[in-house]
Amino acid sequence: MKIGLEVHVALPTKTKLFCSCSMEAAEPNSCICPICMGFPGSKPMLNKAAVESALGIANALHCSIKKEMSFVRKVYFYPDLPKSYQITQMEGSIGSGGYLEIGDKRVRIRRVQIEEDPAQLIRDGALTLIDFNRSGTPLVEIVTEPDISSEEEMRSFIGSLRSILYYLGVDINKEIKADVNISVAETRVEVKNVTGIKSMIESLRFEIERQTEAIRNGEEIAKETRGYNEKARSTQTLREKESDEEYGYIFESDLTVFGTEGLKFNLPVYANEVAKELAKGTDVSSRTVSEIIMLDRDSLAQINRLRGRHGLRSIIHGIERYKKYGSMERMPDRVLDSIVLLIDNGKEVPKEAITDLESGKDAKVEYSELSEEQLDKLINEYVAGNPELINEYMKQPKTVNFIIENIARPNGLHPKVVARRLMPILNRIAESR
Amino acid sequence: MASYIREFNEIEKPKDYYEGLIEGIEKLNGTYDAFNVINKSARTGFLFSTKANICVKGFETDAGSKMLKGYVPPFNATVADRMLAKKDFSFIGVTNMDEFGFGTFGINTEIPAKNAFDSEYVAGGSSSGSAVATAMIKYHVSVAESTGGSIAAPAALNGVVGFTPTYGSVSRYGLIDYANSLDKIGVMARSSEDARIVFDRIRGRDDYDTTCSVEKISSEKKSRIFVMDSMLSKADQKVRGAFERLLDRLSRDYSVEHVDSATMEKAIAPYYIIAMAEASTNLAKYTGYKYGAMSQDFYKQYNEFFTDAREGFGIEAKRRILLGTFIRSESVKDKYYAKALAIRSMIMHEMDRLLKDGYILSPTLPITAPKIADARKLSPVENYAMDLFTIPPNLGGFPHISFPYDYIDGMPLGAQLVTGHGNDYAILDFVKEWESSFNYTYKHNLGEL
Amino acid sequence: MEDKEFDRLLKITRLRVSDGERSMIKKDVEQVIAYFDEVSAVDAGKEQERYPAAIPGRFREDVISSFADVDGLKRNSKMRNGYIVGPKL
Repeated sequence: MKIGLEVHVALPTKTKLFCSCSMEAAEPNSCICPICMGFPGSKPMLNKAAVESALGIANALHCSIKKEMSFVRKVYFYPDLPKSYQITQMEGSIGSGGYLEIGDKRVRIRRVQIEEDPAQLIRDGALTLIDFNRSGTPLVEIVTEPDISSEEEMRSFIGSLRSILYYLGVDINKEIKADVNISVAETRVEVKNVTGIKSMIESLRFEIERQTEAIRNGEEIAKETRGYNEKARSTQTLREKESDEEYGYIFESDLTVFGTEGLKFNLPVYANEVAKELAKGTDVSSRTVSEIIMLDRDSLAQINRLRGRHGLRSIIHGIERYKKYGSMERMPDRVLDSIVLLIDNGKEVPKEAITDLESGKDAKVEYSELSEEQLDKLINEYVAGNPELINEYMKQPKTVNFIIENIARPNGLHPKVVARRLMPILNRIAESR
Repeated sequence: MASYIREFNEIEKPKDYYEGLIEGIEKLNGTYDAFNVINKSARTGFLFSTKANICVKGFETDAGSKMLKGYVPPFNATVADRMLAKKDFSFIGVTNMDEFGFGTFGINTEIPAKNAFDSEYVAGGSSSGSAVATAMIKYHVSVAESTGGSIAAPAALNGVVGFTPTYGSVSRYGLIDYANSLDKIGVMARSSEDARIVFDRIRGRDDYDTTCSVEKISSEKKSRIFVMDSMLSKADQKVRGAFERLLDRLSRDYSVEHVDSATMEKAIAPYYIIAMAEASTNLAKYTGYKYGAMSQDFYKQYNEFFTDAREGFGIEAKRRILLGTFIRSESVKDKYYAKALAIRSMIMHEMDRLLKDGYILSPTLPITAPKIADARKLSPVENYAMDLFTIPPNLGGFPHISFPYDYIDGMPLGAQLVTGHGNDYAILDFVKEWESSFNYTYKHNLGEL
Repeated sequence: MEDKEFDRLLKITRLRVSDGERSMIKKDVEQVIAYFDEVSAVDAGKEQERYPAAIPGRFREDVISSFADVDGLKRNSKMRNGYIVGPKL
C-alpha cells in the first residue's frame, strides 16, 4: 500500500500573503482590499514573514532550498477563488527533495510550496455566501512521496510533522487540511480537502477498506478524486471530475523571482530526538519524554532547566502533576520547583498545594520542605503548649479549624496538610482520656 | 514647440477657459469617440486623460469591455495618484480603447474611436482614444499603455508622440492587466518634452508593484542608427518611400546603417503566444459577481453562472482566451509557450547587442491608416502582422518612441526609435531635436489660447 | 482542431459561443495556431526569458495596513448579512 499526503498549513503571520490586510478579522468581509479580492489592476506583494516561516519548514524537512524561487498561476473556476487562479509554486517551490523521519523510516518530501488560501464559502440555503477575510491567508503545502504504508505510519508522520511545525511556531491543531492519496493496489485514489487529523485517519481507513474490498471482489478501482464526508465517515466520488480540468500553470510574472539567501528562519527541534537524548542514562523511557514534549515547548524548557538539580523522573512527574491543573505556558518556575522538591521528598502533591502555589502564596511553599516527622513534631509542640485549646476542642469539635489555622498560618503551611497530620494526633489524645 | 505644459503655465487663461474647452471636447467627441468618460468638473491645471484600463477612483474604468461596464474602481492606479498628487494636472477623462488592449486599430470595442485627421479612418490601437484626444486638444497629455505597440501605433496614426518606457520603470498597480510581463504604462503628448515631464512624474519604484523597480534613467546619446532592411521590405511602398526620405535627412547627423536581423522578424508569433497565455489567465477573474457586468441568477450552479456572465466578452477577447488556454495545455505548452520564451530570450539578446551601439529605427506601422471598414475585413493573422515593427521592443521591454515625421495624403506617419533598457531619456532627447525642425500639422486645436 | 478539443476549451474557459460565432472563431483559432506553429522552426537555444528585464523580487514587511474604502469593494456585489453572494455550488 502506498499513501502520499499533501498537507496544507496556515502560516502565523500578521498580514496576508500578498497584501497588508490583517488576518484577525471580526466581521465578515472586513479585512479585505483590492488585492485579496482580486480586483482588476491589483498586484500581489509578497509577505517576507510568510516566506521566512515557509523557509523554516522546508529546512526542518531537510529540503534543498531554492536560491531563487518563483510562483505560478493555477487556473480554475470556483466561487471562492477571486482571481480564478491561485498563486502557488511548482518548479520554483521554496523547498524540494526533503524527508521526515518516522522511527527508522524516512518519508520523502517532494515539495514544500507557498500558496494563498481562497475565500471562505458558507451555504445559506441554495445561496452561497462568501467571506473574503480568509482569501489570501498564507499557506504552506507539504507534498510527500507515496512512502507511507500504513495507518500507523500515517499517524506517526502527522504526529512528527505537527511537532516540528509546533516548534517552528506553526500550530496545526485546528487548521490542518490535507489531500490523501491512497493506492492499495496500483491505482491511485485522491481524497481531497480532508480537514483535521481525525478525518484524515478515518478517510484513510475507509479508503483502505473500500479498495481492499473491491480488489477482493475482483473489481477495478477507478483512478479518481473523492471527497470525504465527515458525518457519514465515508468518501465519495466528487460530482465534478476535477481531473477533467487542466490547471494550465503559467509563470506568475507579477512576482518575478525572489532570492532566498539572507532570509532569517527558525531552526527545527525534533522532539523525538531530543527525547532520546534526555532519556539516555535515566530510568525514564524516551517515549514518555517524547509524549510530554512533542507539543509543549514549555515543558521542554522546564526539563532543561531542572535537569541538573533533579532526577528526570521527578521532573516529569511534577510536570504531569501540574498539567492536570494548569497551563505550563503561564506557570512561574518556582511553582514547579516546589512541586518537584515535594516529589523528591516522597511527598504527595495535592491539588490544593498547586492552587496555593499558583495564587502566589509564597510562604506556604516552605511547608513542602517539612517531612512528616518534622510536621508531627511541630504539631505535638503546639498541642503540648496549648492545653486549654485542646480541652475546648474535646467539648466542641468545631473549634478544630481554629487550631489548624493557628498551626498553619505562622508556619506557612497548608491547612489541609496540617489537618491530615493533626487529626490522628487529636484522636489519640481523645482516646487516651 | 518645446513644451506645451510650460507654455500653458505661462499664458494667461480666460475665466471660462475650462467650461469652453470641455464643451468643445464633448462636441467633437460626438464624432471621434476619443473619450468614454469626460470629467466636466476639471477646472485647474494642465489636462490629462487616462486610457480606460487605468483605474481612477470614482470614474468608470471598463477597459473597453462590456465585462466591466459600469465598474467604478474604489482605488487609484499608482500613476493616477502621482498625476493627481499636486494641483498642476487635472483629470479630463477616460479614453477609448480596444477591449482589454486587444487590437492594433482600435476597432475591437463597441464604439471605436475615429482617427483625428479623418473620422472614416481607424484611430489605431489599442490606446485609440488617448491618441485621438492628444491630437484634438492642444494643452493635454494622455497616460496610455502598451503591451505590443498600443502606444506607438495610435500615436503614429494620429500624428502625436507616443512614448513607451522601459518595462519596470512605471508602476502597473491599478492597470487592468492584459499580459503582465509585457504591459507598460507610457505617455502620449504633442511634444517629447511633455512626454518627459509626465514620465518623470509617474515613474519610479512602487511598493505596490513588485516589477516596478527601475530607478535610474540615462540619456546616453548614440551616433548610429540601425535599420532592418528585411523588415522594412514588408512595409508598403508609400511608407517605405517616406521612410527613406527620413533616413536621408537623419544621415546628415547620424550614421545610418542597414543591418539584417534574422530574429527580430520572428517576434510576432512568440509575442502573441506569451501575450495570449498571460491574458487568458488575467481574464479568468471576470465571473460576474464581484465587479462589472453582473449575472443575476444566483440560484444557477456556478459553472453556468460564470458562463452566462462571460458572454460579455467580445469576439477578439474570446479568441484570445481560447488560444491562450490552448497554449497553456500540458500537452502543447513546451511546443508553444516554452519555445516562445526561448525566442524572446534570443531576440532580447540580439537587440541588447545592437542597442549598445546605436538606436533601431523603423516605421511605426507598415501601412498608413486604413479605413475602419477595410480594417474590419482583416483576419486575426493579417491584423497581427501589422505589429511587425512595434512588437520587438515591446517583447523585450525596451523603451521606444513613435514620433510624427511626415504626412501622406493629409494623414500622419510615425517612425519608431528604440534604445536599450533604462536609456529612455536618449530617445526623448532625439525626438526633441527632431521637433526643432519639424512642423506638426493638426486638424483640431481645442483649447488653443 | 477537433470539435472535441474546441468544446473542451470552451468548457474550461467558461465561454459560450453562438452557432454563428462558433464556426468563425474556430476557423480563426485554427489559423492562428497554424501561424504559431512557425515557432517550431526557430532554433532558439535553451535560455528562456519570462519577463523582459532583470527585476529582482522585493519582499513586503509583515505590517498591517487597512484598505481605505472597504465598502467600495462591496459596492458592486450583492450582499447578504455582510457576506458577498456568489453562485450556487
